[in-house]
Amino acid sequence: MKIKVCGLKHPENIEAVAALQPDYVGFIFYDKTPRYAAGLSADALQGVPASIQKTGVFVNESVENIDKLIAEYGFNAIQLHGDESPEFCAAFKGRVTVIKAFGLNEEFDFEQLKDYANNVDFFLFDTKTKIYGGSGKTFDWAILDQYKLDVPFFLSGGIGSENIAEVKNITHPQFYGVDLNSRFEIEPGLKNIEKLKDAFNIVKNKIQQMKYGVNEQGYYGDFGGAYIPEMLYPNVEELRQQYLTIINDDGFKAEFDDLLKNYVGRPSPLYYAKRYSEKYGANIFFKREDLNHTGSHKINNAIGQILLAKRLGKKRIIAETGAGQHGVATATVCALMGIECVVYMGEIDMARQAPNVSRMKMLGAKVVPATSGSKTLKDATNEALRDWIGNPVDTHYIIGSVVGPYPYPDMVARFQSIISAETKKQLVEYTGSELPQYVLACVGGGSNAMGMFYHFLDDESVKLVAVEAAGKGVNSGESAATTALGNEGVLHGSRTILMQTEDGQVVEPYSISAGLDYPGIGPQHAHLFKSHRGEYVSITDDEALQAGLLCCQLEGIIPAIETAHALAQLEKMKFEANDNVVICISGRGDKDLDTYIKYFNY
Amino acid sequence: MNRLNKLFASKTNNLLSIYFTAGYPALNTTVDIAEALEKSGADFLEIGFPYSDPVADGPTVQHSSEVALENGMSLKVLFEELAELRSRVNIPILLMGYLNPIVQYGIERFCKKAAEVGVDGIIVPDLPIYEYETLYSSHFIDNGLSNIFLVTPQTSEERIRKIDGLSNSFIYLLSSSTITGYNLKLSDSVEEYYKRIVAMKLKNPTIIGFGITDSSSFAKACNYANGAIIGSRFVKLLGEDGYMDKIDGFIKGIRP
Ligand SMILES: Cc1ncc(COP(=O)(O)O)c(C=O)c1O
Repeated sequence: MKIKVCGLKHPENIEAVAALQPDYVGFIFYDKTPRYAAGLSADALQGVPASIQKTGVFVNESVENIDKLIAEYGFNAIQLHGDESPEFCAAFKGRVTVIKAFGLNEEFDFEQLKDYANNVDFFLFDTKTKIYGGSGKTFDWAILDQYKLDVPFFLSGGIGSENIAEVKNITHPQFYGVDLNSRFEIEPGLKNIEKLKDAFNIVKNKIQQMKYGVNEQGYYGDFGGAYIPEMLYPNVEELRQQYLTIINDDGFKAEFDDLLKNYVGRPSPLYYAKRYSEKYGANIFFKREDLNHTGSHKINNAIGQILLAKRLGKKRIIAETGAGQHGVATATVCALMGIECVVYMGEIDMARQAPNVSRMKMLGAKVVPATSGSKTLKDATNEALRDWIGNPVDTHYIIGSVVGPYPYPDMVARFQSIISAETKKQLVEYTGSELPQYVLACVGGGSNAMGMFYHFLDDESVKLVAVEAAGKGVNSGESAATTALGNEGVLHGSRTILMQTEDGQVVEPYSISAGLDYPGIGPQHAHLFKSHRGEYVSITDDEALQAGLLCCQLEGIIPAIETAHALAQLEKMKFEANDNVVICISGRGDKDLDTYIKYFNY
Repeated sequence: MNRLNKLFASKTNNLLSIYFTAGYPALNTTVDIAEALEKSGADFLEIGFPYSDPVADGPTVQHSSEVALENGMSLKVLFEELAELRSRVNIPILLMGYLNPIVQYGIERFCKKAAEVGVDGIIVPDLPIYEYETLYSSHFIDNGLSNIFLVTPQTSEERIRKIDGLSNSFIYLLSSSTITGYNLKLSDSVEEYYKRIVAMKLKNPTIIGFGITDSSSFAKACNYANGAIIGSRFVKLLGEDGYMDKIDGFIKGIRP
C-alpha cells in the first residue's frame, strides 16, 4: 500500500514529512482551501528526494496555469479535483502522472469512470461533498466493490489514526494507496509528524506481518514475479486482477466450503499415530490428505481453481501433471462442472503412473503426452504453457502446485492453506495448543508443504521441515533435491531456485516419485529456504520406500511415495518426549502399488 | 544511434529480418550464415541462443535448440563465435533467447559482452516490463543495446503506449497469440489488429513476426508494418543438406 500525504505548505514541515518517506506528497493550488500552497517557494521542494512523487493538486484550473506550475515546482504528478473532462486529463497523460479525484457516495455512478480509464494513471476516491476538495469524512468503503476497471486508485477522505488499521483490510485488487490529510494535522496545512509516523508504522507493519507472504509485485523476498512472454500477459493479468476479489467473495467461499465438505470429505482427520509416536519418542500426528476424494491434497486446489475459472467465464481447462494426482483431481472437477479438460503429462510419467492415466480418461479428460526434453513434469508444464499461449481467451490453466507466474503461487497456497487452518483447530483438541513443535511435508513444487506451513509461517516457534527427493543420492547425478543442487534463476514464470547447468540450462531431475521429480520449487519455498524460516532436507528413493513400508506395517496406511519422503525424515530427527509433530500425509499409495511391489518383491 | 536506428532511419518498408538458432545445425556456422544472409539482402538478423525449456517456441525452433545444446552451444561459445562478427557482417544483429541463461551468465556481463562483439539489440520474450524497468534497463542503456518488446493482438492500447515509450528501435508485433512456427492466416481479426496498431501512430517502427513463411505472407505483413521476420521456415532450411547454397534463393524467393 502506497502512502500519499496531501495539503503541505510549510517548508520545514515538508522536509519533516519527506523524511518519513511517503510515496507521494501533495501541494494544493486552490484558493478556497486553508491548505492553499500559493506562497510556497519552489526551493522548498528541492530537498524532496526523487523517490517521492511531487504532486500538484488543482480544481478546474486551466491547462496553461497547470503547465506553468508544473514547470515552476517540478511536479511529477497532478491531481485534478474539479470537473475536469477525460480530454482535459489526456492533455497531461504521459507527461506527468495523472490522478483524477472523484467524490463517492451511495449514488455514485461508476460508469462515468470508463471514459477516464485511458486518460489517467490513477483515480482518487474521496467522500462526496458539495464543495470541491477533500471532506475529511469517510464514505462506506463497501461501495468500492462496484469499481471494476483496471486503473488503480487511492483512497481518501477521513482516514485517521483510528481507522488506518481498517484500511489495511481492504482487499480490492486495484487499491493502490491511501491519501492522508486533515486528520493528521496540528492546523490546516501543518502536518503532525508524530501522528503520521504512527500511521506509517501501522501501514508498514502489514509488510512485517506478511514477512513470508507475497508483496504487491508478486515477490517473496528475491523470488517470484511473473516472468512470462507477452503472449501470456493478458491471461495472467486477468487472474492477477481478479483472483483476490473472486476468492474473497462470500458466494465463492460458500461454494468452495460446501464442495470441500460434501464432495472432498473435509475436514480431513488429524490422526494421532500411536505406534509412530512410540517408535519416535514424540507425539506424531498425521494430517490425512490421503483420505480426500481422489486420494491427495491436489483436489483442494483443483476445486478452488475450477470455481474461479467458472467465474472468469472460461470454457476449457488445461493442466499439467507429474504423478497424475493433479491430473486426476483436475479431470474430476471438470467432470463435476461439465467443462472440457486437457491434461499434459510427460511420456515417461504416463508409463510409470499408468493407472492414473486410465482414471483421467475415464473421467472424460484428454491426456496429451509431452514428448520434448526429459518427458516428465517440467516438459508437461511447458506444453501446457504453449497450449495456453495459443488459447488465450477461453482457456484457464489449472497449475497443480505453488509454482508458475504470480498470482499462481499465492493463489494455490491460499487454496491449500485449508490444511494448516484445520490442523490448528484439530491440534488444540489433542494438545491444548494450536502450535506444534514441528510440521513436515514433502516438496515437489511445494503445494502440500505450503498448505501445511501456511498458517504457521508467522509462528516462528514452529519448525517447518520441507523434504525433497534425493533420488539415488544428492550427489549421484540422479536427484531432484532442488535446494541442495540448485541455484537462483527463472523457471516456468517465476524467479526461484532451480537445478541448472552453469550456462542456465535446466537440468533433468530424477526421483522414483513422479510427483517430486521437478527441477524447481515454488518461489515462496525459495524464500523460506533462503531466509532460513524453513529447513530443507532430502530423502533418497530407498529411504522413502522403506519408510512407506513402515507406515503400512505400523499404522495400516499405504502412503504415496511422495509422502513417504516426509515420513522417512522422522528417522533423522531427534525429538523431546513432549514434542508435537505434524506430518502432512499428502496422498495415498494406490497409484504406487506397482513400484512398491517391484521394489519389495511382494 | 546504433545500427538498428540507422537502418530504420534510412529504410521504412519491406524490411526483411531472419531468425536462426546459433549452434544449429553445427557449431561455428553462426557468422557464416549471417554473412550469407547479408549478401542475399536480409536487412537485419536475430540470432537465437538456445534454452532447454523454450515455452514460446513451436517444434521447429525447439528442435533446433535441442540440437544446438547437444552440439555444445552456450552463451560463452556464442560470444566466442561472434568475436569475428563485425569484421564480416555489417547489418544490425539482435540476440534472442530466454532469460535464465542470461541470469546465469550475469546480466551486466551479458550486456557488456554483447556490445563488445557488436550486437545492437536483445529480444528476451520472458523478460517482463516491470522487471526490465526496475532491474535490467540500466545495463541495456549503458551498453547501447535496444530491448525489443513483443505485442500481441491481446495487448491493451495502454500497454502498447507504455511499450512504445520504453522502446528505442522497433516493436515486435506478433501476428497472433501463438508460439513460433505456425502459419499466418490473415483473418479479419488479424487485419483489424494491424489496422488498430497503424492507427495508433507509434513513435517506433513495427516489425511483424511469428508465422511469416513465404513471399505472400511477407508482403501482406509489410502492408501494415515496416517489415517482417522469418524464423521457423528458415530454421527448417538449415536442417536440409547443402543449406549454405540455398540461402540466397530462399531470401530472393521471399522478397523478389
Ligand atoms: C501425493 C502427492 N504428494 C506430493 C506431491 C508433490 O506436489 P507438491 O509439492 O505440490 O505438494 C504430489 C504431486 O503429484 C502428490 O501426488
